Amino acid sequence: MYNYVVTVTAADRVGIVHSVTGTVRDEGGNVLELSQTVMRGFFTIILAAEFPERLDPRVLEAAIIEKGRKYKLTVAVIEAEANPAPSPVVNGERFILTVLGNDNPGNIHGIAGCLAERGVNIVDLHARADGPIFSLVMEAFLPQDLSPGDVRVALENFGKGLGLEAFVQHENIFLATTETGPVRVGATSNSPEGAAVAPH
Amino acid sequence: MHRTEDVLATLGMVRQHKLDVRTVTMGVDLYPCASPDINELCDRIRARLTKYAGRLREVCVEVEGRYGIPIVNRRIAVSPIAGVAACHTSEGYLAVARTLDEVVAEVGVDLVGGFTALVQKGWTDGDRRLIEVLPEVLSTTKRVCASVNVGTTAAGINMDAISLLGHVLKDAAERTRSHDGFGCAKLVIFGNAPNDNPFMAGAFHGVGEPDCVINIGVSGPGVVKAAVEDLVRNAPLRPTLGEIAEEIKSTAFRVTRVGELIGREVAARLGVAFGIVDLSLAPTPQVGDSVGEILQAMGVKRLGGPGSTAALALLNDAVKKGGAFASSSVGGLSGAFVAVSEDSALAAAVESGDLTLAKLEAMTAVCSVGLDMIAVPGDTDAETLSALIADEVAIGVINHKTTAVRIIPVPGKAAGERAVFGGLFGEMIILPIHAAGGSTDFVRHGGRIPAPLSSLRN
Repeated sequence: MYNYVVTVTAADRVGIVHSVTGTVRDEGGNVLELSQTVMRGFFTIILAAEFPERLDPRVLEAAIIEKGRKYKLTVAVIEAEANPAPSPVVNGERFILTVLGNDNPGNIHGIAGCLAERGVNIVDLHARADGPIFSLVMEAFLPQDLSPGDVRVALENFGKGLGLEAFVQHENIFLATTETGPVRVGATSNSPEGAAVAPH
Repeated sequence: MHRTEDVLATLGMVRQHKLDVRTVTMGVDLYPCASPDINELCDRIRARLTKYAGRLREVCVEVEGRYGIPIVNRRIAVSPIAGVAACHTSEGYLAVARTLDEVVAEVGVDLVGGFTALVQKGWTDGDRRLIEVLPEVLSTTKRVCASVNVGTTAAGINMDAISLLGHVLKDAAERTRSHDGFGCAKLVIFGNAPNDNPFMAGAFHGVGEPDCVINIGVSGPGVVKAAVEDLVRNAPLRPTLGEIAEEIKSTAFRVTRVGELIGREVAARLGVAFGIVDLSLAPTPQVGDSVGEILQAMGVKRLGGPGSTAALALLNDAVKKGGAFASSSVGGLSGAFVAVSEDSALAAAVESGDLTLAKLEAMTAVCSVGLDMIAVPGDTDAETLSALIADEVAIGVINHKTTAVRIIPVPGKAAGERAVFGGLFGEMIILPIHAAGGSTDFVRHGGRIPAPLSSLRN
């Protein structure tokens, strides 16, 4: 099997997912994973699909654009390895990092820089500015030898003078307060792909 | 991906509404320390507490950092000392108290509970000796908290013990006169005392508990108040009381879950059992951290006025229901504390004359604890204090619930003057006791008020 990753961006309209996944199916592909969101009126999708035969990414790209012509899609297709490289942080734990405060140009860049320097792998991120108010919530894997306190201090040092507050909390606190299942302690997963739950 | 709204809602409970873990309380069984040699007994207590609690502080700091939830206090509850030191003289009991005071300071704990006697049906010589040394213990130690269980629904009420405790309160207050009788703030007199309560001053490690256990006291009056205020402010129509109860329940759920998570994590890291999470709304003198303010958010503008008891009943019940849904390990007291001097809104209601001792007694029939942190005139006679205790314990014994009394006769001060205890203990205007001085004969009958008919359930 041959694996491809497809990204599509367009102004949000009803029917884009239907169109894109229809093209993938018509070209012989099977969608393995898909994530879609709409932000400020713009639709974006990333999907991974496998195909029985190797194909030219440009052909698939053109087909998606053509069949979704009325949506004016911007499309990129890349060929992916069947067995992707392991996560950069294989033994870390998932933490939720929240940064709140004033909106400043370069907030996200600076925050991401602090994390990259310390080997923190961001796996999900949502940030927005509502007028002058900035908020960022991300899920990230911290290496096992990095304490959440150290990350918080680094982020607070960055935010000093910019009016930003930072919080670094293990994801279990959010699972505990939003789910009805048993409370989990310890690592909920030891890799971005895993989902092992420690007994208690 | 966690929903951003969920993350910010949970974070907001901590950041804006003062959600915290009020106490991580380690319960330790001290019966294995018993020895006829007082030095050996004290050495064993020191060794056992150091063994179990030596890493408590360090682990709490780690867990606090991991989850971003403040852990305000670390405490230890020990087996009732009346039994542990049963064969010793009064001097022996004092030596144990001094040992507890020293060793908990060494392991970084601010209070230790369990200088306790359980005398609901009768008392042993040891129980009596412990009660008799309470004034000295409460006035000469810094961290030792005491409690006496004087009644249960199954056993009735030990009026002999209550009679003695009236004098103990007077003596303890007098010995701490310079601090407005603060010694009494470290003594809780219970009816139906729970074995696993993590909150001080009434915590002890009850019979039937394991060698060592971690119990959690979560609080969060500010969180509940904010939830009620938001509902009232933002609902398109005035919310019904049923809707307010639902809001409190869902908030209590989240608060309880935080407590259970922290408790399980601390217990796992220390390699000991996790016990219970006690979801009690425990106020502090800070504005916004008040049970009284929750009642005000529900629409009872004059605390102590009509509606106060009903509102408190709704609050207490909704808190318990939310907690019960959140965890199978809810225990302790789990309700709303009306600790008057520690609650700025309740203290203000006393000052304005709205909240009286009689109304407080009525309110305690529907919430946890009882007459808690209440300053009364210093010239109140011992028998009146005893009768007040008996009234409150009777409410608990008849209604199958815990009640307690933590009352301070402030030496040299009269009703209307201010008593200042400081820190988390707060301050308040001294409340008068209506029709005081007429209960002496009743108290001096002594003996035991029999267990109520409702105790015969087998």
